[in-house]
Amino acid sequence: MNKHVDIVVVGAGNAGLSAALHCATEGKKVLLIEQHNLPGGCATSFVRGRFEFEPSLHELCDIGTEDDPGEIRQMMNDYGVKVDWRQVPDCFRIISKYTDGTPMDVSMPFGVENFIDKMEYYVPGSRPKMEEYFELLNEIMAGTAYISSSNGHADSEVLKKEYPNLLRTGAYPVKKVWDAMKIPKKCQDIMSTYWGYLGIDMERMAFIHYCNMFMKYVAKAAYIPAHTSHEISNAMIERFRELGGEVWYNCRAEEFLFNGDRLCGVRTTSGIIECDYVLANINPDIIYAKMMPKELIPEREKKLSTARNHNYSARMYTVYVGLNKSAEELGIKDYCIFLAGTSDSAVEYKNLLGGYKKNDFTIFLCSNIVNPDASPAGTSVGFFTSMGGPEEWSRLKTEKYVKYKNLYAKKFIRMLKEQAGIDIEPYIEEVCVATPWTFARYLGTPEGSVYGYETADWDGMMARMMMLSSDYPIKGLRPIGAAGPRGDGYSSAYVCGRLMARLALKDLREEGG
Amino acid sequence: MAVNVKVGLIGPLDMLKFKNMSKVREDYIQAAPANEITADYPINKKAKLLHPDYQKLVIAEIIDHPEAASKTYIFKAKNGGPLAYFRAGQYISLKMKIGESFVSRPYSICSSPKEALEGTLAITVQSKADGFAADYFLANAAVGDEFTASGPQGNFYYEDLRDAKSVIALAGGSGITPFLSMAKAIADGTEDFNLTILFGNRTEDSILFKEELEELAASCDKIKILHVLSDEEKECYEHGFITADLIKRLAPEEYSVFVCGPRAMYRFLESELPKLELPEKYIRREIMGVAKDISEIPGYPEGAAGKCFTLTIRQGPNEYTIPASSEESILVAIERAGIVAPSRCRAGECGWCRSKVISGDYFAPEENESRRYSDRVTDNIHPCVTFPVGDMVIEVPAEYT
Repeated sequence: MNKHVDIVVVGAGNAGLSAALHCATEGKKVLLIEQHNLPGGCATSFVRGRFEFEPSLHELCDIGTEDDPGEIRQMMNDYGVKVDWRQVPDCFRIISKYTDGTPMDVSMPFGVENFIDKMEYYVPGSRPKMEEYFELLNEIMAGTAYISSSNGHADSEVLKKEYPNLLRTGAYPVKKVWDAMKIPKKCQDIMSTYWGYLGIDMERMAFIHYCNMFMKYVAKAAYIPAHTSHEISNAMIERFRELGGEVWYNCRAEEFLFNGDRLCGVRTTSGIIECDYVLANINPDIIYAKMMPKELIPEREKKLSTARNHNYSARMYTVYVGLNKSAEELGIKDYCIFLAGTSDSAVEYKNLLGGYKKNDFTIFLCSNIVNPDASPAGTSVGFFTSMGGPEEWSRLKTEKYVKYKNLYAKKFIRMLKEQAGIDIEPYIEEVCVATPWTFARYLGTPEGSVYGYETADWDGMMARMMMLSSDYPIKGLRPIGAAGPRGDGYSSAYVCGRLMARLALKDLREEGG
Repeated sequence: MAVNVKVGLIGPLDMLKFKNMSKVREDYIQAAPANEITADYPINKKAKLLHPDYQKLVIAEIIDHPEAASKTYIFKAKNGGPLAYFRAGQYISLKMKIGESFVSRPYSICSSPKEALEGTLAITVQSKADGFAADYFLANAAVGDEFTASGPQGNFYYEDLRDAKSVIALAGGSGITPFLSMAKAIADGTEDFNLTILFGNRTEDSILFKEELEELAASCDKIKILHVLSDEEKECYEHGFITADLIKRLAPEEYSVFVCGPRAMYRFLESELPKLELPEKYIRREIMGVAKDISEIPGYPEGAAGKCFTLTIRQGPNEYTIPASSEESILVAIERAGIVAPSRCRAGECGWCRSKVISGDYFAPEENESRRYSDRVTDNIHPCVTFPVGDMVIEVPAEYT
């Protein structure tokens, strides 16, 4: 006899964990299956020697303080998930060049007032524009929250009355709005820094999307868990079990089963599971190409996939280092340093996709700045993140792999030395390099991407949010995760998981299930 | 001051543009052809070849080394073609069915990475005093036999981002195997570093791969081999154990030390290696299994030794009730019961057997502790180095086969 549950969540990544918790909280019998032997997807950790490494999380936005919680802290509170959050000291330090060619080395603080003050210091006379800008951001945040809460049915009269500037700016890319507002060019250069977090440059990223992220960081500060993002995933799993949820690791979904055109189960490497609904933390291209009958795929979904044209944005590339000297001894003072050849995000994005020689962008993070106990006394732990295009990693021959990935690592280690004066090379006790191959191996995402689809141009976050009711046509099955309406990133994935779980439960209620 | 932002020339048109986002998107989608959806990605395929869930192997050839009570097994892929590429020094976890038990053993690969791409992979198995699986394998494995193995595993390899350009390898007995692979990889140009192997054996006659190593050293000036005999005094051989003095005599200015050998050798080196005054990063040890007598380990709970407990093992849809001796790891109890469970390094390091304790007490020795911080807090264990000290309920992941 096959196993039967109400809901199967496939993939214990951030969206899957959130979806599973929401469904379990609502009293559903939920089975969470995961192809790896631990939860989290990107939100995990690994151990080498005396170091435990954070593989992906730079900083989580929308946590806020206990007294004034942001959406993510509130969500975790609602789920009953406890995490030891530690606040990151500053937004970022960026060492780059302004678009006029002059050198840039700026550190920006959290807090709107502080941010405006510091901007005035770096760009004298910018204060009035920056104040105006943050006023706009507040309106956009409030408007976006309203649209999100409407599940794709926002009232245009309310929008017009309450959030007119959202309507006026929302459909434009960031750069257009900045220019229209006459934001000083140097301020634009500094504020472009976060572009890589969403994987789209300022000329194509929807203003509304960038604002939301930018504002969540600047106004509410950023946090990381004390002991890597595995701590978050483990805490979510523990709570899920408490709520009666069941978890199967090393279990891979192979095929979705249908009764007519309605999903009725999943065939997995651990047997068939019958269920009323599946929330699948899998890219839709993979679901449609490999996991369900071709004749059940609606025409519009084929068109949507063709229109998206396998454009999964940039691929991640990371170097993890365990160092046998403390951050203090090495002269590391900042948690997060962006090293970028240019502050022109469109040029930078193009460079990144151009491969090893053109790539001059990396972000260096040192966890000990936030939590001194992130590694043993007298040591420090950190990682470099960069991005690359799919071509170089598609072409690369297996026997050249190690040499090629280490070339990147050496380049970034050299950049840190030359640009920030931090020489870590003699002190590397443990090192690991992850490439798109590595991410493909662990996540199973297309080409190892972590961004879902590019959230740009016609396919931006707001457009996806407004079309929730036409984008998910398979009865009993919803893909969740970075390819969803909220795009990539930890907080987006948590929010997406809950949103899709809510919609799934609504579908079930409407079906009378 | 109320903000009133206008991006376009005429404000109201911007509003329309916002409301039109859905329509623009829908038009864009509808304009695209309804092509068949594909998801074949070269990156994913290459990642899978490099890190397969498992490899199906068949023994193609067996080479006997009676002098060292060992045999070398040369495998080919069951379905032909290349095997997973690896970094010289890595191991595979070989799965065996012995009686009703499903067990695994980690064996360093002694062939070169290049040979894997050409379709062969070799391991060397040595008979041990209480080597249950090794002796079974040596006695029974024959040409044509099929086995399942993991992909290449482990972190015992040369890494130019971290290690000195010269490596002094300290090998004891069958601990030579990863260094043989490294030497081959240097000789064929896959790796680029200087490797000086200090190879400890009892007698000249018992030296494994003696000729092969000497040929490699003769063919490539980056490779050197020096034999150290403990039970014999002979010309051209060092006598005694591998000591700090001997290492210092041979060492260049900057060097890394790599160690692979039996437990006794690790114990001896514990007092020798500190004399080199090297930063810890320059000393790398191949992982070592768990202690034979667990009750001798400091911190072992009083009164737990010599008992038998009951484990409830949940694995996906299945539940098993099995006996477990306090003397053996939880993984061994699971294997004895005939349950197919994940395991690779059997030393606590790789975490592949990671399982969740639902209830019950256990002992996890500090010397094998490689768990993630939050796993320790939430009672997630590595069963290969964890021992029951009472009845337990444990959730164990499935294993891909």
